[in-house]
Amino acid sequence: MSQRPHEHIESATPSAIELSHVSFNYRNAPSRNSSSAVVLDDISLTVPAGERLGVFGPNGAGKSTLLKLMLGIIEPCSGHIRIFDQSPTHARKLGTVGFVPQRLNIVSAFPVTARQIVEMTVACTTKPLKRLPAQTQLYIDELMELVGAGEFAAQPVGTLSGGQLQRVLIARALSNKPNLLLLDEPTVGIDLAGQQQFAQLLNELHRKLKLTIVMVSHDLRAIAAGCDRVACLAGSLHAHTSPDGITPAVLAEVFSHDVASVLGDIHVHAHKAEECHDETCQQEAEPENGS
Amino acid sequence: MKTLQYLSDPLLAGLFWPGVLVGLAIAITCAALSWLIVLRRLAFIGQGVSHAAFGGLGLASLIASFGLDFANSTGRFPIVLIFCVLAGALISRMSTKRAVGGGWAVDTAIGIVLVASMAGGAVMLHLSHVVLDAQGTSQSLPQIQWEAILFGSITSVGWGDVAVAAGVMVLILIALFWLRRPMLLWAFDPDAADAVGVSSKRMSLTLIVLISLIVVMAMKLAGVVLVTAFLVLPGSIALQLTQSLNTTRIISMLVAIGAVLGGLIVSFELDWPSGASIVLMLITMHLLASVWGWVRQRRPLVRTS
Repeated sequence: MSQRPHEHIESATPSAIELSHVSFNYRNAPSRNSSSAVVLDDISLTVPAGERLGVFGPNGAGKSTLLKLMLGIIEPCSGHIRIFDQSPTHARKLGTVGFVPQRLNIVSAFPVTARQIVEMTVACTTKPLKRLPAQTQLYIDELMELVGAGEFAAQPVGTLSGGQLQRVLIARALSNKPNLLLLDEPTVGIDLAGQQQFAQLLNELHRKLKLTIVMVSHDLRAIAAGCDRVACLAGSLHAHTSPDGITPAVLAEVFSHDVASVLGDIHVHAHKAEECHDETCQQEAEPENGS
Repeated sequence: MKTLQYLSDPLLAGLFWPGVLVGLAIAITCAALSWLIVLRRLAFIGQGVSHAAFGGLGLASLIASFGLDFANSTGRFPIVLIFCVLAGALISRMSTKRAVGGGWAVDTAIGIVLVASMAGGAVMLHLSHVVLDAQGTSQSLPQIQWEAILFGSITSVGWGDVAVAAGVMVLILIALFWLRRPMLLWAFDPDAADAVGVSSKRMSLTLIVLISLIVVMAMKLAGVVLVTAFLVLPGSIALQLTQSLNTTRIISMLVAIGAVLGGLIVSFELDWPSGASIVLMLITMHLLASVWGWVRQRRPLVRTS
């Protein structure tokens, strides 16, 4: 990765994540895919170590892009990102960051067991001619128990339920012993009971492993259940509050739409916000792509 | 009856064994790639890359028409090989997901590269005639044996071909073994691969270049249809029978080896075309595997989503 001069921010306790004036656009984005028309505009955000941040926003708001920036898969067009005071690529190399990708992209026909999935990323750091060290094997067993995946460790991926696979993917993300866990739309396609278990698991991991957690979702309910703070994202950052601080005004700003009626009870009516946001947000995002 | 006579008869054995060995080398190599091809939905990559050979042949004639005769003799195969591997790389490049969104579906990329290289090849062949006509030497253009290139004959290969096929097999198997862990992570979950620094672009490119290598090597000896069969069927058969990665690998290999031996024996016994016999052997195994899966009340493991 290119060496760029970083602003050195002096502080007593380094934050887990610092974004200062981060902007990103897809200059070469193919115009046929409207979801790539996203622009992140001047985002500044600090996440203290140990915090659980939910990034909430409609589809196409740049949530996944934000995660990719934090992972160092893409670089910002301007601004700086520090992960535990390291560049994102360096932090990734050190194993500081664990990533739980969207579950629905996974091919269920793949001939691997739950345990083999958890092994996958640590295995990549083992030399081709060497076996996985016994120590690593033990750690993987522990992880499977920790996320409650021990009993189905030997089952093929095709036989796992959505919630079970979610646990397996979380265990895999933890296999590099990260301090920061990033989750991309973790609750999509998981039923209510599963979502509750998922929130419990995340709370437990947060407590036991002292993790900093960033969860990206278009599901307010999932975020409200397990986050200390919420960032609302639609191109730019619209609010940065505790879950209780999501007011009708904030939502209206994010969705550029009057959704006051939604907030009678966030937990019950959050889905209404999802229903109404799609067109409005696309309309907002597209002019920005006109460059 | 000439039953199994060819195994001992020195004259017939000289015809039989090189074909068998080349067939086995190609089959084993393709079988090692097959499960990745099935799961990453690259079944038609063989077609794309092999038809790109037309482009390579056209380019070779064009170069030769400018008086560089090597392009139509010793240089022809390397030119075709490089052209095909580049076509494979282009397919990979076109179909790789960019940072967000983007990228064509692999089948679209294959379709575009396939017709582009065939049309380009035809035009370049035409231009080479134009160039030679202008020089008044069009008689000297050697005839290109298109048929031999598209439908190789596995029973007419020599010991030199055996050595080449074995070399390519060893090369590809070593590459696959060396990269087995990152390749598995990428094949299972490209996003997670990128997140731990296993570049999904590089993995896709590596796999497609390996496939291009074996396809070009094999189509001269075995023909395009047989190569596609070897690339797709061992994996699809194995994935119907097991949900374990190692068993998938082993079954793929055994299926491919069995099909070569069985197919060639049928071909010699009944005097059937050899490539077709091997393909039909694989198809039969696929049907048996489907029946077995149905009997065991397993759902089909590879579904279209």
